[in-house]
Amino acid sequence: MTFKTKLLASTAALLIATGGAVLADGHATHPDTGVALASDQSFTYSVLDDFPSIDPALVEDVEGASVARDLFEGLMTEDATGTVQPGVATGFEVSEDGLTYTFTLRENAKWSNGDPVVAGDFVYGLQRAANPETASEYAWYLEVMGVENAAAVTAGEMPLDALGISAPDDFTVVYKIDAPRPYFPQMTTFPTTFPQHRATIEAHGDEWTRAENMVSNGAYVLSDYVPAEKLVRSRNAMYWDNDNTIIEEITALIINDSNQALTRYLAGEIDVVMDVPAGQFPRLNTEYPGEALSLPSSCTYYYQFNQSDSGPEALKDVRVRQALSLAVNRDIITDNVLAGGQRPSWTLTHWAIAGWEQPEIAAASMTQDERNAMAVELMAEAGYGDDNPLTVEIVYNTSDSHQSVAVAVGQMWKQTLGVDVTLANQEWATFLDTRGEQNYEVARSGWCADYNEPSTYTDLLTSGSAYNDGKYIDADIDALAQEAKFAEDAMPLYREMEQIASDNAYFLPIYHYASVRMIAPDMENWPTENLLQNWYSKDLYISASE
Amino acid sequence: MYSFIAKRLAIAVPTLLILIIFSFILMFAAPGGPFGGERPPPAAVLANIEARYGLDQPYIVQMFSYVKNVVFHFDFGPSFQYRDRTVNDVIAQGFPVTLTYGAWSALVAVVVGVSLGVAAAIRQNTWLDYLAVGITIGAQALPNFVMAPMLVLLFTLGLGWLPGGGWSGGLLIDACDAGDRLCFNNPFGGAVRFDYLILPVIALSTSYMASIARITRSSMLEVMNSNFIRTAMAKGLPMRRVIFRHALKPALLPVISYLGPAVVGMITGSVVVDVAFSTGGIGQFFVNSAFSRDYAVIMGITILVGALTILFNLLVDVLYAWIDPKIRY
Repeated sequence: MTFKTKLLASTAALLIATGGAVLADGHATHPDTGVALASDQSFTYSVLDDFPSIDPALVEDVEGASVARDLFEGLMTEDATGTVQPGVATGFEVSEDGLTYTFTLRENAKWSNGDPVVAGDFVYGLQRAANPETASEYAWYLEVMGVENAAAVTAGEMPLDALGISAPDDFTVVYKIDAPRPYFPQMTTFPTTFPQHRATIEAHGDEWTRAENMVSNGAYVLSDYVPAEKLVRSRNAMYWDNDNTIIEEITALIINDSNQALTRYLAGEIDVVMDVPAGQFPRLNTEYPGEALSLPSSCTYYYQFNQSDSGPEALKDVRVRQALSLAVNRDIITDNVLAGGQRPSWTLTHWAIAGWEQPEIAAASMTQDERNAMAVELMAEAGYGDDNPLTVEIVYNTSDSHQSVAVAVGQMWKQTLGVDVTLANQEWATFLDTRGEQNYEVARSGWCADYNEPSTYTDLLTSGSAYNDGKYIDADIDALAQEAKFAEDAMPLYREMEQIASDNAYFLPIYHYASVRMIAPDMENWPTENLLQNWYSKDLYISASE
Repeated sequence: MYSFIAKRLAIAVPTLLILIIFSFILMFAAPGGPFGGERPPPAAVLANIEARYGLDQPYIVQMFSYVKNVVFHFDFGPSFQYRDRTVNDVIAQGFPVTLTYGAWSALVAVVVGVSLGVAAAIRQNTWLDYLAVGITIGAQALPNFVMAPMLVLLFTLGLGWLPGGGWSGGLLIDACDAGDRLCFNNPFGGAVRFDYLILPVIALSTSYMASIARITRSSMLEVMNSNFIRTAMAKGLPMRRVIFRHALKPALLPVISYLGPAVVGMITGSVVVDVAFSTGGIGQFFVNSAFSRDYAVIMGITILVGALTILFNLLVDVLYAWIDPKIRY
């Protein structure tokens, strides 16, 4: 309590001392936009589930990552469009072979206890994430980044200092990676790479993330956390850019039921609702124009065909897979079944990924009638028809929206192709086992981008991917993926991979996700163009209502 | 009597052990596991995590070390789902919340339910009886997952009287904030606030209240028609004395046997109430922990509920002996 009061007092003192706030009619104004600011710069948002962890080395969910991005700051950070901006690092240099990144840190970055943020904190943070003893589920992210020896260090086969990160001096961080990755700097905005305060973690062990123990270097500090109820963060007076930060306090309420969250938003208890039931978007958009937003969310929804030995013979026939794919009217699913701003998909890669252009997929430009006609023909060629109907089971994890999609797809297959479809839903953990062990025929899948570049999707197309639950093997795709790793311009290669996958209908892309949010009209600067849905409270502000 | 209590407590130990063993078997028989989810991490990462939680050990070893930690250290282990918390933390944080709204629900359910039941029985076949029966049937027919959102729509969105959810420290807090409704500063320090409590209590207590009213009514009717009541009436005792002195005690016996498990149900909370009002109580973990295969939390809550059930059933039996002179242990 006293700590918080002190903190608020010192923040206020700082604001007055720097003259950062211009008072006009009792209201400060935003330095860039000139919009009058509300006197109360705090907001409340709702999340669906409690945070599995807010320890940057352990964070594993989207909402936990948002908390970590407020409490901590990485080498780089992002602006509202997701473009990489200097964070603790003022900039970086890349070696000619693209394998060494040298980041220069700013000297005025401080931890919330006043300690300077030094290069060693980044090395410690990354090593802790890779350390087998930490047992972080997200240790795999270091492998995705290509950090040298990440896999071996995580497996305990190499010592921690073999990890490809070093600190030649207090203000220089050097990363060594295994292949050139033009998008590497963007990956340093991910929480797993954030610096960590060694003395705090060593002193408090697993309890270092408690509000009374945590030392962080971001724009905010953790001031209160009641598990399963709420998490509150308030200003970090030690943050190097504190003068330009406006929001004072953020409260995350954990509300397990999205309809309940919506009701409380309407009652004025919440300013931002993160997960509005997608089906409600059309209604909310009409009733509360400007408050209901549908934003592209970089995930793709698709069905996998079991092409392994345990799968049905029929699905090993490319004509059957093609026919099943063609017969799915994606427009009906996005516009009528889901109606939350999703888009039909013909590739795994999300349409909004930076620099992505969809390959020429013939089916994408046909009308549904043409697709259906083609599908019927392919099915007949494969030997299935009224006298010999194909039977297929779609398995999905229990959820209303997955069920709606499965019912619609089943109906389309039945009507167009005469396929006998049965639906089976399973509880989540059971479903994952079923799919992972190829005990299915057709299974629902989804994939979300880890970074804003096509390979976050196209890596899944390869035969060796751990997420290829269809177990198809395509040597051409594998060769292209290998080539793309070292290619100057990998985009055409990614497109070719998607093209091959589509020609062979290895899986059935259905739609690209959108996420629906309710955002109070006085909440300003909420990023709508960040495809990965990352947001930073330090860039937001609340305007004074007239 | 004391030897009876001692015997019952002694039986509780093997009962709990059997409960633990059965829960372990069911848990490990369920497909899937606590880690990985949609994108299982590389095998080496998964191995690290399993080693940290002892999941790489044979089931029987896991079970023994679990029981050992619980019995000797009262340590229920770390939560698998919430990496920064132990099961003791989860229970210590959530149980006081459900205990608070659960105990109030029990109080409301008993007071309202018994009053309604008694009133209906002694005014049998009058408008009062029909009203009471109507209310209880309605209350039992309306599930709390329907009632909870309706309460929020009415009291939060419609009337704006009560918050739509949250807990904010619950009943006993340091001091009232300006503008807090239903909050009373205690002259001796601290404050009592009811606004976050009311909706969860209504949602949780209603169906229990209805059951209690119906049980009370039928058992009261039976007692009122028995010989000793007829004798009491014949002696010319005033009605009030007949009811409170003679009829109520035996009439409450079935209510008390119902209350044992019912009170446990209320004070350990309900997933519907916790989710609908975001109280942060322990009720939601019953379901969440099973879905996320958080073995440690599943076990912790199972043991908590099991122990409370045994305790309250014992309490019921003791109360029985106290009320009914025919019962001797």
